[in-house]
Amino acid sequence: MTRYAIIADLNRCVGCQTCTSACKHANATAPNIQWRKVLDFEVGEFPDVTRAFLPVGCMHCDEPPCLDVCPSTATRKRDDGIVTIDYDICIGCAYCAIACPYQARFRVDKPAHAYSGKTMRHEALREDPNRIGVAQKCTFCVEQIDAGLAAGLVPGIDAEATPACVNSCIAGALHFGDIEDPDSNVSNLLRENRNFRMHEELGTGPGIYYLYEGDTGDNAAIEPAPMVPDPVGLAQVSPQLQTSWDWRAAGNFICGGTGTGLFVATILAGMMAPVFWPALFIALALVGTGLFCVWLEIGRPWRFLNVFRQPARSWMSREAIIALPFFALGGLAWLLHSPLLGILAALLALLFVYAQGRILRAAKGIPAWRQKEIVPVIIATGLTEGAGLFVVIAVLAGYSRLDLQLFGAALFVLVAARFVLWRQYRRALGAGGAPAATLSVLDRLNLGYSGASQTLLLALTLTSLVSPPLLIVAGLMAVATGWGFKFALVTKAAFNQGFSIERMPARGAGMSAPGIKPGWTAQ
Amino acid sequence: MQKPTPKISENVWSYCYQCVAGPDLLRVDVKFGVPHQIAPNFDAADIHPAGGRVCVKAFGLIQKTHNPHRITTPMMRTNPKKGRREDPGFKPVSWDEALGAIAKKLNKARADGLKDESGFPRIAASFGGGGTPTAYMGTFPAFLAAWGPVDMSFGSGQGVKCYHSEHLYGELWHRAFTVSPDTPLAELIVSFGANVEASGGVCGVKRHADARARGIKRIQVEPHLSITGACSAEWVPIRPKTDSAFLFAMVHYLLHEADRGELDLPFLKEMTSSPYLIAPNGYYLRDPASDKPLIWDNKTNTALPYDTEGVDAALEGEFSVCGKEIGPDDQEWVHTEVSTTTAFSKLVAHIRFYTPEWAAEICDVPAKTIRSTARQFVDHAHVGETIEIEGHVLPFRPVAISLGKTVNNGWGGYECVWARTLMACLIGGLEVPGGTLGTTVRLNRPADNRWSSVTPGPDGFMDYPMNPTRKGEWHERSTTRHAHQTLVPLAANSPWSQALGPTHLAWMMQKEGFDHLPKPTAPDVWFVYRTNPAISFWDTDAVEDAMANFPFTVCFAYTMDETNHTADVLLPECTDLEGLQLIRIGGSKYVEQFWEYQGFALRDPASKPQGEARDFTWIATELARRTDLLESYNKAINKGAAGVRLFGEGFDFSLKEQEIHGVEEIWDTICKAASAELTGGQETQGLDYFREHGFRVKKFPKEQWYLYPALKKQGLRFEMPYQERLLRIGAQLKARLHEKGIRWWDRQLKEYEALPNWQNLQTLWETALEDAFKVSIGNYPFWLLTARSMQYSWGGNVGLQMIHEVAKNIAGHGGVVMNPAAAKALGLAEGDVIELASPNGGTTKGAVILRQGIRPDTLLTIGQFDHWKTPYAKDLKTPSMNALMPMLLDLTDSTGSGADLVKVSIRKIEGAS
Repeated sequence: MTRYAIIADLNRCVGCQTCTSACKHANATAPNIQWRKVLDFEVGEFPDVTRAFLPVGCMHCDEPPCLDVCPSTATRKRDDGIVTIDYDICIGCAYCAIACPYQARFRVDKPAHAYSGKTMRHEALREDPNRIGVAQKCTFCVEQIDAGLAAGLVPGIDAEATPACVNSCIAGALHFGDIEDPDSNVSNLLRENRNFRMHEELGTGPGIYYLYEGDTGDNAAIEPAPMVPDPVGLAQVSPQLQTSWDWRAAGNFICGGTGTGLFVATILAGMMAPVFWPALFIALALVGTGLFCVWLEIGRPWRFLNVFRQPARSWMSREAIIALPFFALGGLAWLLHSPLLGILAALLALLFVYAQGRILRAAKGIPAWRQKEIVPVIIATGLTEGAGLFVVIAVLAGYSRLDLQLFGAALFVLVAARFVLWRQYRRALGAGGAPAATLSVLDRLNLGYSGASQTLLLALTLTSLVSPPLLIVAGLMAVATGWGFKFALVTKAAFNQGFSIERMPARGAGMSAPGIKPGWTAQ
Repeated sequence: MQKPTPKISENVWSYCYQCVAGPDLLRVDVKFGVPHQIAPNFDAADIHPAGGRVCVKAFGLIQKTHNPHRITTPMMRTNPKKGRREDPGFKPVSWDEALGAIAKKLNKARADGLKDESGFPRIAASFGGGGTPTAYMGTFPAFLAAWGPVDMSFGSGQGVKCYHSEHLYGELWHRAFTVSPDTPLAELIVSFGANVEASGGVCGVKRHADARARGIKRIQVEPHLSITGACSAEWVPIRPKTDSAFLFAMVHYLLHEADRGELDLPFLKEMTSSPYLIAPNGYYLRDPASDKPLIWDNKTNTALPYDTEGVDAALEGEFSVCGKEIGPDDQEWVHTEVSTTTAFSKLVAHIRFYTPEWAAEICDVPAKTIRSTARQFVDHAHVGETIEIEGHVLPFRPVAISLGKTVNNGWGGYECVWARTLMACLIGGLEVPGGTLGTTVRLNRPADNRWSSVTPGPDGFMDYPMNPTRKGEWHERSTTRHAHQTLVPLAANSPWSQALGPTHLAWMMQKEGFDHLPKPTAPDVWFVYRTNPAISFWDTDAVEDAMANFPFTVCFAYTMDETNHTADVLLPECTDLEGLQLIRIGGSKYVEQFWEYQGFALRDPASKPQGEARDFTWIATELARRTDLLESYNKAINKGAAGVRLFGEGFDFSLKEQEIHGVEEIWDTICKAASAELTGGQETQGLDYFREHGFRVKKFPKEQWYLYPALKKQGLRFEMPYQERLLRIGAQLKARLHEKGIRWWDRQLKEYEALPNWQNLQTLWETALEDAFKVSIGNYPFWLLTARSMQYSWGGNVGLQMIHEVAKNIAGHGGVVMNPAAAKALGLAEGDVIELASPNGGTTKGAVILRQGIRPDTLLTIGQFDHWKTPYAKDLKTPSMNALMPMLLDLTDSTGSGADLVKVSIRKIEGAS
């Protein structure tokens, strides 16, 4: 087998950005899109300071998170380890960009030029409409590798079969080759030098290895890079708020959660009281609205059918697939007033909201989402919102006092459960370490899950047992706090992984030193 | 008119010589006639020191070619008023009209006499980038040669932004216009602010990366943690401009703390002036018969001429000797049994005071760090060892000291360059493998080979083409506006000397003349190419004002910029990828370009010229034709003014002198001559050969990287440590200037010391600023420095989006780098917009960039910005120190150089972001 990888010798790298520029030339990337770039890290406090440069880009992971989430099968992994994107299939959902913990994927939605409004000759020559609105990233210059291989050349040895960044590197810092070949240039380098990979703990098996020190004979494992919540001057490498998914994506989680929750609540309520069939329509409409929001978000909306292509891996595909029978059965249940169909659809609704939780969980690039606790949080939040909305409808629909008291009690349990799950999620997130900005946003906004607001909500819900009309307030509050939480989770607290350097390299005769995980904290 | 456009081929060979660290070779990929990608030239992998690669700046050339802001048609000014606030009213004109207007001015200047009433050339020219524009200006040098006297004294950065003291003293001491460690062999480099990873080009970066990979130790001594500091084993955050104290303390360690036997005593005795006896007035004690300096021979216990065969020279001691002493203007003293010591003994006594403890307080660096650095220098020197280089056995001394800008120019430059060269001498590491090397010569001749420039001079040293200072020989009136021949003997008298004069004096004199110098005049015609002194020089407001008074300025213009805003004519020349030219490559060049080959490389057009842009050779030919200089112009080309002499042994491709020759014809002929030169006349392939191959080379002997063998062969010595010649010249210059009534250069005259005394440069700066601007320096608490950027330096590329985009990945670009503790004390946070103000009233604004890697008393702005006209760059809001840098005589050293350093205050701009 062949596994192509890049070796970056941090002792050699000077941060000149020649590789960045060569990549931009070779791949004609748009302004401010850098498939390859070199980061600038500084560690320590004056006067004990070290500084290092770290080339980054697509890591062509062994277990690419982007591959797992891609709903369209546009992202694939070749046998030689190169992760590719089929621009003709990609729907531009940007899920892969969210999932990538190396910030290596981009989406450009319209032709961009270096000098706005003026297309230069070389830009016009190399403009590729196929790359508009879809995911793009480093390809390891796969066409060059394939052409080189076809010509009998050896990638990493022969320039004509080697990525442009490696060819261009003026410091001899970048190397390319097959790490499965024990005699290859890169295998030799790995044997002879101590090295690390970025975010090794995420289990992605990244394909860029960083050499930080000659082989000292000491093969002790590297201590994880210290988390520094508020590093000086490292904003560029610290976690950034993701911008791939905005209010439209949040809208799907909000509407999808509330809609499915409402559907389930309506059916469950129907088991002890008459079914309020119009609520099912509202539920279906909400879920549909959420999906419409997603449709508005994707870069190639008319390729939306490709979302169904990857049920084997992608929770986005699964969500879409679940939505089909959910709408069919739910719609029929509403039309035919069929409790049986309603129950089946409610089960699908639960699956749908579970899929939404798993969508977030699979986004390895966003620490706030990839927590396993996010799944019950999303389910509980959706159900609570649904229940909240249902009790409002129930009051307005004139359910009996007893029914309303029952619904109120159920809402009370759900709000309490949601609160417990939220707290567990926050604790778990902090315990394992997270972007300081994520924790700060969650704690500052404190939207739904502060003790005060939830105590008030619980008190309101309890009071409504005595005075059922109060359920309108309690229900709306349950909905609003859930929506606020999810909106914040998607658009405000979703800081990406950021970059880290596990060890500062030994420079010449110097010593290596602990690295840094900037912008992270455990609390 | 002739057809101006050379033909275009697909995927062409070219070179990048945008910065002084080049040239480097590249390939341009062209599709449908559009160059779209720069790539390394791997065909040159085995002959180019960096394997045929080019750096990030070369990748800007595609955007440079297609930049929509380019000027693509000749233009002429319609508003006769000049100045920043005046709209020039440029209107497009034909080439015929533009060249006609220039020719009219030139012909009038010629008719009026080549020099004006002050004796200055009527024509002036400013080129940027350390001479690199010649790699892009085709045969324009032949036009200038045909024209006659041209004043190159209006600096665009040289003198204030270059390695000025290193250039002058380096050439004097070891033919080192720039100095480099022998990086491939060195074990230890102590670098004082040399930022080779940012400014050393691909060869510098590659050589140092290779050295790091084999475990070299580099100690970086500088106030901020630069790119090079980042790549070093150790960073020593020294107080700004105190490097000379650190260096003197290192010398002290070697002379007073290390065992004498750890020094290279044979080298000191045989290859330096260390054993020369010093007479009571400070000049060499000489043999009365031959005037040769005397040494004390331990074998015979007598004083003998330094070059007596078989002597055992005493390095130290006091001796009672008879002899003659020759002072300034041939003044002689005859001494009988006078007590003398050797130059080395003088040195030992001179340096006794400068202990590491003394330096520690000045530099804010612990004495143990200084002592440890010096100790490591000795430990890695391998004194006594040899190495074989291509069959030649040479001393092996793998330690070196490198100096950066602001350390090796301006006040203190002399001390630092002297101490660095001395340190190398003490362990026998000057110009030997592993040690401290010169790279190229510019003031000495011939310029293409350092070895050839080694000719015997006085007292056993190499000759040096000083500007004379003896009575009757001194140039009372300089031929340039900065008076380099009058004021700076070391600037020498080569074609490059004008660029090495005190260039800011040329600008200062436009504002107010200096007593007893010729009346300052503006040039009748000023040519400007690849430079923007309104941004890149100091006190940019004053420079702008001066150039606004120039009557006729011709700018070879790429885009509109701050300098050509005052131009009368703008000429769009073919840029890097559009023009045709052949240049010399190989041998040893600036910075770290040490090749094992030498030859030629072609810049083949990869694109049709945009708009009406024309090849520079065509423009030069047209100017020659329109000024009736065609014959002289062609003659100059034949003699080699375009880089290659067209005739030689066994070949003669001389152009017919009376005829107009096309661009391709000229370069085809030059290519043929180049082929003939490389093959001894055996092969004569022309342009087609170079188009196919891109370059042509032959071996360059690696031994010639080192000057030691050349001196050894001629029995010459390095003129270290004692500067008797400078002492005499200084005294003579003082006499000449005083005879003329010039007293305003007295401060500079004090620098002519045989052994330099340490100066407190921080106090010198502060006092100069206080005196000049009547301020309390306490109100300006920070030292403002600058640093070079790999992405921008020399590139003239501030208007290129891609360069800006990738440069942003490296911290420090675009703002003011500041220590977080210092920022906190002022209530400043990352991103706050601040205004820096200097005592001269200049201000610049930028966002705070917090980094731990900078001293709390220091601020840093990378590169040169503050653009207000250059498209794209003017929107970047990037600060620059240049407007804050005053042009002051008090801050000008004896070589005519100043250093980038000023004290500033900080004011937060509320509400800005």
